[in-house]
Amino acid sequence: MTTTHNSMAERAAGVEITDLRKSYGSNEVLKGISLDVKPGEVVCLIGPSGSGKSTLLRCVNLLEQPNGGTIHVGGFEATDPEVNLDKMRQNVGMVFQQFNLFPHLTVLENCTVAQIKVLKRDKATAQATAKLNLERVGLGDFGARYPDELSGGQQQRVAIARALSMEPTLMLFDEPTSALDPETVGEVLAIMKKLASEGMTMLVVTHEMAFAKEVADRVVFMDGGVVVEEGRAAEVIGNPQQPRTQDFLRRVLDPTHVDI
Amino acid sequence: MAMTTSQRARLSKTIQIVLFIAIIVALVLALDWDKTRYAFFSFEELGPMFPDMIIVGLKNTIFYTVISFAFGLVAGLLLALMKMASFAPYRWFATAFVEFFRGIPAILVLLAFGFGLPQAFGTLWPQPVNIMLALGLVSSAYIAETLRAGLQAVPKGQTEAARSLGMPAWRAMVTIVIPQAFKIVLPPMTNEVILLTKDSSLAFILGMSITQYELTKFGRDGIQSLDAGLTPLVVAGMFYLVITIPLSLVARKFESRSARTKR
Repeated sequence: MTTTHNSMAERAAGVEITDLRKSYGSNEVLKGISLDVKPGEVVCLIGPSGSGKSTLLRCVNLLEQPNGGTIHVGGFEATDPEVNLDKMRQNVGMVFQQFNLFPHLTVLENCTVAQIKVLKRDKATAQATAKLNLERVGLGDFGARYPDELSGGQQQRVAIARALSMEPTLMLFDEPTSALDPETVGEVLAIMKKLASEGMTMLVVTHEMAFAKEVADRVVFMDGGVVVEEGRAAEVIGNPQQPRTQDFLRRVLDPTHVDI
Repeated sequence: MAMTTSQRARLSKTIQIVLFIAIIVALVLALDWDKTRYAFFSFEELGPMFPDMIIVGLKNTIFYTVISFAFGLVAGLLLALMKMASFAPYRWFATAFVEFFRGIPAILVLLAFGFGLPQAFGTLWPQPVNIMLALGLVSSAYIAETLRAGLQAVPKGQTEAARSLGMPAWRAMVTIVIPQAFKIVLPPMTNEVILLTKDSSLAFILGMSITQYELTKFGRDGIQSLDAGLTPLVVAGMFYLVITIPLSLVARKFESRSARTKR
């Protein structure tokens, strides 16, 4: 699939986040985050729950409305009130922790519905694109099934194929393996690794440290709504400099050795 | 003498059956059978009511119900969306509307449309239009609540996934949320049709021409014109059951199906 490979790397978009702030009432969950993702780069966001990493990710395609700061995605300024949000989101694929497949549609229809209704592709073209992407995630024969007939790992792979069918220039992953049975985590991570090697820009919120270390170009450690430490994946995970990062990684990587 | 549990259970059942039979026998002996038969079962006197009771009465009951429901469904969906709107005046209007039409008896709404409208504005349209407007408005208030509950039962992640694929809000609603909500509300909606079928009988208090009669009006007319006691209404009741029992069977089938799978 060299053509897809090349075109994907060429089309890949970056993200520039500057001084992003988000509050729920008086609770400030993002306290001025700045973060750049270059086209084709894979960045993993790690940190304890409640650190704001999912909120940050959801701000990138405006599922959460930021209270301050700017976000540029591809050619769009997401935080501009005049921006065409729907147009912007067509280029930003999103994969959720809970899959969020459409249960009333077949696997194939899940992957064609937005192509047909949003991109106005004809049905045959949409189905061809959907089949291609279902094959990419190893589910080429599953088009006629309904989501509730699939395992969690299979559902998440369909969700990835659904996002890819829009031919996005950037993919956002919000804890894509956190709701999965342990034995199906690997199949989803393998697909994500393949995507990364094909040159897709990826921003991934994850607790899978082995994946982050192996696949990410950069790892960003967040805690309490700020970026505590960031750098090359091997450095942040293998040799963290900040005490909070060290503490977090010790607990994640070696859960049985915690001082109580 | 001690009894085992099963012996005691059998004795209890026997006593219940004997009591039941005793009550039936007492009723049979106490009732004046000639009068009872005349009041409720004078079927042989009903010849003049047929076939009009079916081709006019039953037909009109079904017609009024179906059109009122269609109207109630459209207005109810609109009200449900208004209740969920971010613009507050929409929510206020919808809430006031729903509370008003759920809070007053349907028969008052029918009187307001059937008598009030013609008094205030002259005859605007044939009487059945007033009936269907009144029934439609009343049912829209109930349908709005059912639909709102159904729409809110669809997980928020569904809308988020649809919006993330670039769908505008209305498209996510039409293509993703409403079809799922529809399956959730099918059983309560079927019950709504059953209630509406019965409520259409309230139209009998309004004046109308004989071709506009529905079942109950037909029955009441029969009581006055025939020498058959209340039998015409008994027959009307049977026709209602002919409509409502299949509907509840359908509702039960939907319920068991949606219980089996989320689809």
